[in-house]
Amino acid sequence: MLFNSFEFLIFLPIVFFIYWFVLGRKLHLQNIFLLIASYVFYGWWDWRFLSLIAMSTVVDYFVGIKIASLINDKKRKYWLFVSVVFNLGLLAFFKYFNFFIDSWVDLLHNVGYEVKSVWTLKIVLPVGISFYTFQTMSYTIDIYRNKLQPTKDFIAFAAFVSFFPQLVAGPIERATNLVPQFLSERKFSAKNISYGFKLILWGFFMKLVVADRAGVYVDTVYGNIENHEGLTFIMATIFFAFQIYGDFAGYSLIAIGTAKWFGFDLMTNFRRPYFSKSVSEFWNRWHISLSTWFRDYVYIPLGGNRVSRSRWLLNLFITFVVSGLWHGANWTFVIWGALNGIYLIAEVLIKRKTKFRLLALAYTFVVINFSWIFFRSSSVSEAFSIIKAILTSPGRLFIGSGDDIAASIYTVMAIFLLILVELKREYWSERWSLEKSNLKLVKFSFYALLVFTILYLGVFGESQFIYFQF
Amino acid sequence: MTRKEIKKFLINIALFVIILVFIDFVLGSITQKIFFSQKTGKYARATYAIREADESIIILGSSHAHRHYVPEVFKQEIGKIAFNAGAEGQQLLYHFGLLKMILKKESKPDLIILNIDDYFLYDTPVAYDRLNDLHPYYGEYRDELYPVLKLNSDFVDLKLFFKGYQTNSTLVHALRYYASPQTTLNGYRPLYGKVTKESLNSMTIFKEHTEKIEGDFVWALKELIKTAKSNDVKLIFVTSPNVLEKDLKGNKSFEKIKQIAKEGEVLFIDYYNDKRFMNQYDLYHDISHLNDDGARLFTKILSNDLLDSNAIKKGSN
Repeated sequence: MLFNSFEFLIFLPIVFFIYWFVLGRKLHLQNIFLLIASYVFYGWWDWRFLSLIAMSTVVDYFVGIKIASLINDKKRKYWLFVSVVFNLGLLAFFKYFNFFIDSWVDLLHNVGYEVKSVWTLKIVLPVGISFYTFQTMSYTIDIYRNKLQPTKDFIAFAAFVSFFPQLVAGPIERATNLVPQFLSERKFSAKNISYGFKLILWGFFMKLVVADRAGVYVDTVYGNIENHEGLTFIMATIFFAFQIYGDFAGYSLIAIGTAKWFGFDLMTNFRRPYFSKSVSEFWNRWHISLSTWFRDYVYIPLGGNRVSRSRWLLNLFITFVVSGLWHGANWTFVIWGALNGIYLIAEVLIKRKTKFRLLALAYTFVVINFSWIFFRSSSVSEAFSIIKAILTSPGRLFIGSGDDIAASIYTVMAIFLLILVELKREYWSERWSLEKSNLKLVKFSFYALLVFTILYLGVFGESQFIYFQF
Repeated sequence: MTRKEIKKFLINIALFVIILVFIDFVLGSITQKIFFSQKTGKYARATYAIREADESIIILGSSHAHRHYVPEVFKQEIGKIAFNAGAEGQQLLYHFGLLKMILKKESKPDLIILNIDDYFLYDTPVAYDRLNDLHPYYGEYRDELYPVLKLNSDFVDLKLFFKGYQTNSTLVHALRYYASPQTTLNGYRPLYGKVTKESLNSMTIFKEHTEKIEGDFVWALKELIKTAKSNDVKLIFVTSPNVLEKDLKGNKSFEKIKQIAKEGEVLFIDYYNDKRFMNQYDLYHDISHLNDDGARLFTKILSNDLLDSNAIKKGSN
């Protein structure tokens, strides 16, 4: 089920009503109900893949208990290995199998051997697999590290793994933060619900008004690269920067807001990343749940920065390449990750920072946009064609005709509105906030105006969220 | 959770809903006012066809209808006034919805010409996506539009309850046509310029459809015939000429359209592969659209064929 579908608009109030008004304070029943609701939410897309979530749940539940019951470190390590291999095995099969086979065949071809790729399979990528496998792995790893005690409450654990607001695209929650919330009583709070509602509305604005509008132009250009030139690619890439931000940050806000309705606090996933003054700052503001996951479970185990300088830089690079590969089974994502790793290494090596804030913002925006070219392109050669066109043939800016022009105008309006709001939040957070007014009429009118804006300017094609494919 | 808390919560929800409906009503009424006050552009033409058109001949169809049928020529040849309600990029579902609204008026046309595109029955998401253009009329024409719009969503009434959604994204159109009005000749907009044999090679037609017949479109075409009949309005199907020979062998959509026309006793005049137009580059603006010269010649030939086949009688209007 998509957040931006009418099914969800019906589903959410029903689940909310039953959860609070029928089940009340019966924690165990609430968890059972959340589990069922989450499976319905996921099964709406394809019920067959529920079995994968169920398997991941069962394996990590028992492995967690097993690890905690053992003292012998070798045995504990063995059971952790079972969990990691199982989860990464799922990922490897569903997400990377064809990629590795194809890459191997290409490699052999490049060294002169012709091999037919008979091993590739027709595999459907289960939505959200990269997210819930990482979330459950954090559970067993944290138990192994003695940071968390395993829960014996299977229902609570299963509800944690499949919690519908963040099941398919995060935020990737840490077990240390979310599991205890399933084990303790949640209190109905009108304030929380009101705050959650605000997040959901703003999330929908980012998704339907900013991302889906920008996506129209981006898809037109990136879908026909042979018909466009440099300036158009620059415009499309800038639009893509806002499309992916609106899409993913919008999804995260809807997820966090929805979780608030049920009494859960999820972690912040985005903090106005395009206001970053360096790439390292960008990664502290972009997809925070994933960045910190890689920090805690890849970068630090590699040695982090407590090693020699060259090893530290290598650790940075490896972490970003792996993060790129996490995003998708394509060399474009690997290069995207590697590029970001290189940016970070360059920032470590060149310590000097400009005093001009605007210059720093512009630098960060440009280099991040450059890496987005790889992220959005369907192949490496396509990305290089785009870069070549940008550098050598600016040409004329494509703005289309008729309805296309109107669509572009709406896109610019939406991005402008987003920047304006983020600018205010970044630099004048507490001032002139209509939504924080003590007057209910003012506050509710602000929300109603936001709903109207979404209804009037939004794109209601029920388009998928970009990160669903990861 | 106490009773008091629940009560407070429910009151807040009710208050918010009231404010939302009020704001939507006020701002939605303004956007609707702007929408319906448009004098030119695609929406203004549709609104005119639906609310005011009392012409004897109404033309429906995609850009081929919009660009190929010249009302002035109908007047000269048949002596009847025509209005071209062709809509660029639109497909059968839209034309059916539009026809139903047009025929709700008391004054009905004598003849409706539906320009047929051979792929009309092939499945394409575009046909559903572009139904948005009918949304602004939903408040006034719910009964007519509901059967069509529900094909696109199970929650039509819920979605279109909001006036803001009904007029979604129409403001820029309205402002654009206020700033730069679009001239039409009773709905017809001529295309100028000529193709050459060489320039055709660089032109491509984007294929937006699959080659699978969609049941919804078959239903819409049959219902369209029924609607015209029940309103006692003569309906004919016409295909526009093509610069290059069109290979229609194995075109299931086209065959089905012909079969439906036959079963519904609808006159079908086919100008695809008409020798008077084939390879006549001077008559075309691009690979599939006639230029003004071509459109005038085509409308003249069609007018004569209509008179010959007694589809319409010569008259003063």
